[in-house]
Amino acid sequence: MKIRSLILGAAAGGCAAGMLVPATGSAAVSEEAFNALSDMVSKQGQALEELKKTHEQDQLVIQQLQQQVGQTSQLATNAEQKAEAAAQSQTVYQAPNPAQTTTHNFQVIGDAEVQFGKSTGQNPTFVLADFAPIFLFRANDNILFEAGFDITLNNNANADGTRAPGSSTTVSLSFAQLDYCLNDYLTLCAGDILLPLGTYSERAAGWLNKIGDDPLVRDWLPGSGIGARLQGALPVGQSGQMVTYAVYVANGPSSGNPTNGFANAGDLDLGGNVGDTPNWHANPSGGGRLAWFIPWKVHYDLELGVSGQTGEWSDNRTHLWSACVLDAALHLGPYFEAKGEYINTWFGTDDLGNLDPHGLWVQTSYKLAGLKRDWPVINNLELVARYDNSDDAQGTYTDRYTVGYVYYFSNTLLFEGDYEFLKSHGPNALPPQMWMLQLSYGF
Amino acid sequence: MTAPLLAGVLALAALPAAQADDKAATPATPKKKISGVELYAIHCNRCHPERYPVEFDQRQWQTYMLHMRVRANLPAEQAREILKYLQEEAGY
Ligand code: HEC
Repeated sequence: MKIRSLILGAAAGGCAAGMLVPATGSAAVSEEAFNALSDMVSKQGQALEELKKTHEQDQLVIQQLQQQVGQTSQLATNAEQKAEAAAQSQTVYQAPNPAQTTTHNFQVIGDAEVQFGKSTGQNPTFVLADFAPIFLFRANDNILFEAGFDITLNNNANADGTRAPGSSTTVSLSFAQLDYCLNDYLTLCAGDILLPLGTYSERAAGWLNKIGDDPLVRDWLPGSGIGARLQGALPVGQSGQMVTYAVYVANGPSSGNPTNGFANAGDLDLGGNVGDTPNWHANPSGGGRLAWFIPWKVHYDLELGVSGQTGEWSDNRTHLWSACVLDAALHLGPYFEAKGEYINTWFGTDDLGNLDPHGLWVQTSYKLAGLKRDWPVINNLELVARYDNSDDAQGTYTDRYTVGYVYYFSNTLLFEGDYEFLKSHGPNALPPQMWMLQLSYGF
Repeated sequence: MTAPLLAGVLALAALPAAQADDKAATPATPKKKISGVELYAIHCNRCHPERYPVEFDQRQWQTYMLHMRVRANLPAEQAREILKYLQEEAGY
């Protein structure tokens, strides 16, 4: 608007001058007229100067505007390119599926138990409060890390076993293993691995066991060990039969008293060899399990397994510790189960020669729902019976008969009760009777 | 002792290839393949009371079935069939 008025002004001035000049040209120019004219010309010059300046400013503004337009269009092109690149990249790399992202695949499961019990000569008491979480980290379809803990409360005791006031919490690592499925037939497990010596330690969570304590003979075997295992299964035919196999190396037992140079029977430490300590025997133990699983129809199956382990246990490397386990499990319908293990171990000692602690356990159970009656409470009950024995090869022998029940509040909330009769003799004989109640929850 | 063990392990590692050949050679009328639901019924209450598909979501089952595949030493193909069944039934 401003430019236009200036141009008009200048043009008007020019015309006026044009009209004046011829008019004065034809006659003699008076000094007054000349002065007026020159005044007008100089004013016009000023106006033109101003006009030029304004024009230059306008040019500048136009340039800036053009630049801005250029930048905007570049932005637009960039955005277009980015959108295109994003579209392309999506076709190459799939957006992560939530089920496959590592950070989202951390789960805590496990079980908890409370036990109340009494054995001969003792007062009935709450004997156990156990919290056993399992941490599962899955990286993808083939890689899993699993770590299981047992957190229990214990009464304090002095080093010599006598009473001390207070209590303490024990946290123990039951297992911590990395599982890597190399292919369909081989899986590598490494870390603090559960040992496939029989099946008990791999199937032992509180809500799985139908009886609140372990078979005595399991005391002669380590439950886990630091090492590595290769395992797998081969399906046989189309009926669900399979052969399973596992081979492993693990530190194996050691002598708990390495300073005296001897390996006496009392020194055997089945579970203690978990780190790098000088003087301990150098070679790890080797072991494995081979099993055959035969289902002949749904809920009817038989599993037979044989497993073993052997290796040095003494620091002076002169003695071996070995174990052989036969295991079996039978299901006849959804209600009846029988299972058991026969365990034999051998180890050489400096003081007592060769020893062979051994024993067996057999357990049967029947779910009363199999009677197909319409009894509400009865239908949630399972009756359990177990016979087990143990010979420590140092003079103590025990026969134990256990009867009990499991009441299922749900599939993972169990209330168990057991009564045990023991016939035990020898230096480490056990009391003749004991009962316990246990509440177990698997979560 | 270590040599036959190593040979065994190597043979197993080579198995997928051998199996692929077997498949090509199977006759045209193979027996009906055992289904995910049957495998679930066969395996999943052997060691503990059955865990129902609706107890967990699909992602949780993916983790738990890997755990069970290792813990129960199940054939990989069977574990995959069972997982498929569990995830379908879990629904979300
Ligand atoms: C060889 C025994 C065995 C068989 C067979 C088995 N489980 Fe388990 N399962 C266990 C044990 C033992 C635990 C307890 C966890 C532990 O100790 O690591 C468990 C725990 C579980 C849990 C709790 C979460 C977890 O991952 O620990 C679920 C869910 C489960 N099992 C489902 C199944 C299903 C589904 C099947 C059928 C494929 C199955 N189980 C077959 C032994 C078994």
